[in-house]
Amino acid sequence: MLSRVANNLFWMDRYMERSYGLLNLIKTNYNSTLDSGDYSSWDYVLKTYMGIEESKSHDDYLDTISIINFMLFDQKNPNTMSNIVIKARENARSVQEHISRELWLSVNKYYLHISNESLSSTFQNSDPIEFVNEMLQYNHIYYSVADITQERGNAYCFMNLGKYLERVVQSVEFLSVRINSLSEKNQKLSESFFWKNLLISIGGYQLYVKTYKSIFNVENIIEMITINENFPRSIRYSIIKLFIHIERLNNYNQLNDKELLFHVGKLKNTLQYTTIDSIKKTGLQKFLDEIKYSLNNISNNINKIYFAQTY
Amino acid sequence: MNSFVKNYTQYHNTWDEMFSEKGHVRDIYSDFGNYLESVPIENINKMQEFSKQFFMNQGVTFTVYNNKKGVERIFPFDIIPRIIHNNEWSVIQSGIKQRIKALNYFLKDIYHEQFIIKDGVVPPNLIISHPNYIREMRNISVPKNIYTHISGVDLIRDRDGEFYVLEDNLRTPSGVSYMLENREITRRLFPKLMPRKKVMPINNYPQLLYDQLKTLIDIDNPEIVLLTPGLYNSAYYEHSTLARLMGVELVEGSDLILKNHNVYMKTASGLKKVDIIYRRIDDDYLDPLSFNARSVLGLAGIMEAYRQGNVVIVNAPGTGVADDKAVYTYIPKIINYYLNEDPILNNIKTYQLSNRDEMDYVIKNIDKMVVKKTDGSGGYGMLMGTSASETEIHDYIKKIKAKPNNFIAQPTLSLSTSPCIIDNELTPRCVDLRPFAVYGSRGIKVCPGGLSRVALKKGSLVVNSSQGGGSKDTWIIKGN
Repeated sequence: MLSRVANNLFWMDRYMERSYGLLNLIKTNYNSTLDSGDYSSWDYVLKTYMGIEESKSHDDYLDTISIINFMLFDQKNPNTMSNIVIKARENARSVQEHISRELWLSVNKYYLHISNESLSSTFQNSDPIEFVNEMLQYNHIYYSVADITQERGNAYCFMNLGKYLERVVQSVEFLSVRINSLSEKNQKLSESFFWKNLLISIGGYQLYVKTYKSIFNVENIIEMITINENFPRSIRYSIIKLFIHIERLNNYNQLNDKELLFHVGKLKNTLQYTTIDSIKKTGLQKFLDEIKYSLNNISNNINKIYFAQTY
Repeated sequence: MNSFVKNYTQYHNTWDEMFSEKGHVRDIYSDFGNYLESVPIENINKMQEFSKQFFMNQGVTFTVYNNKKGVERIFPFDIIPRIIHNNEWSVIQSGIKQRIKALNYFLKDIYHEQFIIKDGVVPPNLIISHPNYIREMRNISVPKNIYTHISGVDLIRDRDGEFYVLEDNLRTPSGVSYMLENREITRRLFPKLMPRKKVMPINNYPQLLYDQLKTLIDIDNPEIVLLTPGLYNSAYYEHSTLARLMGVELVEGSDLILKNHNVYMKTASGLKKVDIIYRRIDDDYLDPLSFNARSVLGLAGIMEAYRQGNVVIVNAPGTGVADDKAVYTYIPKIINYYLNEDPILNNIKTYQLSNRDEMDYVIKNIDKMVVKKTDGSGGYGMLMGTSASETEIHDYIKKIKAKPNNFIAQPTLSLSTSPCIIDNELTPRCVDLRPFAVYGSRGIKVCPGGLSRVALKKGSLVVNSSQGGGSKDTWIIKGN
């Protein structure tokens, strides 16, 4: 497989995963503002997802609807939903011979849906949650179409690298920005709707309740997002997946480079022997910084080994 | 009779593909005519809408940039197929084969001994001073002596009902993916009509192409790639479709690298040798060392690899000299010279403006002429004598007189018309036909059908997609 193609497959899935994370966040943040009336929570989304500096905050927008409208449809900001989907589709278009026909059709349909000129005005007159849910369906279809139609080979692995790397970056970001800043404000803990929405935004509410019953506790949440083996958005789960696909790529391409495998294997094993107590001992921020450092190493190595255009 | 069939008004003094001069449905269209009479116009409109949606969803589009915002456009498609009888097709097919064969001999000759010039059949100036005559190709033995692996020959049917060759396209012509997609949609639009009509299949074109390309080199399973200028090229859809359907890599210039005069592509598992390059970039961009130094689309040094026989380039560089409008006039002579045969397909009468007498004649009769630049393509820079204003004609004559070598003229043609659905009505529009021929070491194969291009503007003769043209599916049918 061409290096350029591998790179584009990687980014196709990265953008799809990012759009999924963004939509979920928009939905739950909107949902939580319905309960709390606290619009400052948009600042976090605008900052981490839109790359918007603090000088411009939620106060600069008329209302929640226009904030969401901006995040979905603004054309100038490269990180809005419509721009992310355009990029995912551009990448898909450049690798059509390597993805299943069905997968291409599903990305292209998403693109046609979101670039429809009348969609923004439809949004102004609909329930945001319902509207976002409809968009999320395209992501769900994408994931399932990839699962049942994409051949298991190089292409599938590169797609998964993009998907899980993006996911783990999102989870790390989520922990370091949201939980870290809020663990200081202990009084919020009692407001269970807040935690509920937080967990819903990363799809972990149900599992949390099952595991920890209804006691909302920062430690439990950290434990679940970092080291839970069965939570598909936990850091550990994503790293295990990364390891599997990196190992497969190593076999397919018969490369003798062990450095990448070493880095991801080490991170995987570290997470396996990490407990919530050891995280507390290290300190959450330091723990997350170490993970970020390893992720950097991993993605540099992926770049160097598989995507680099120089020989 | 359904009114929209009854209201069909033919162009004056023009051959219509479906209706005879007296307005009767031709035999070959009889089933289709019956069908059209039985179906309400609303259904036809729905089908038209369905086909648009089909192309959009499949991504059979090209992107037009407007205020930095990309807008997806589809190449307009008319649902009513253009039908040609197999008897007529066999003549077309053998005519194309004859032409391509002769043009290949011609190319080989002018890049080697140049017998045809020495024998005085074509003037030396025509070749040697030609901008598309590539000196780098002199005395190179091309693999299997084939230059024009893929060609598209544009045909029109004049008012006498005969097919004429309008133009040969020997520089990897495009349009074949639209031929394939048009069939894909037509199959679904007319599920009952198609099987009964015994339409000759075209959907194996990618396999045919692959099989022919494979024969260009004597190794098992050669690595074939398709070289594209990239995602933003208007024909990108075609490049990616052909690569996908043939199962070969679609590469860009930056994916290739040269090592010891061999071409490799950069893959996730290291370098992989490339044997055959079906390139969809022009000669000029192929190799910055030999041609346009500023090109970033090709690969520096690829011509040397080609010269050494390490890679096959399809089509061979330098074929542009043979499909040009000035050479076109000599093709009957070229066929006769190399094959000792009369041309099966006729040329359109063409005047060389470099010839003094012919120039005078053309200028005198310019209101009945189409004047074209010899190196133009895509329908640009031509003068339609019938519709041009006096000042336009005046200015154009000045240009002709300044450089008569650069122009040729043809009497205004009458392209045949085929019924189209336009604004809820069945109306005639001019069509041409571009069949595709593939030349491998097992001979020349012509795909039965081709792309029928349609001039969508009323009365227009310009079918080029860059100037408001569309297309139709083309059925070659056996039996009635």
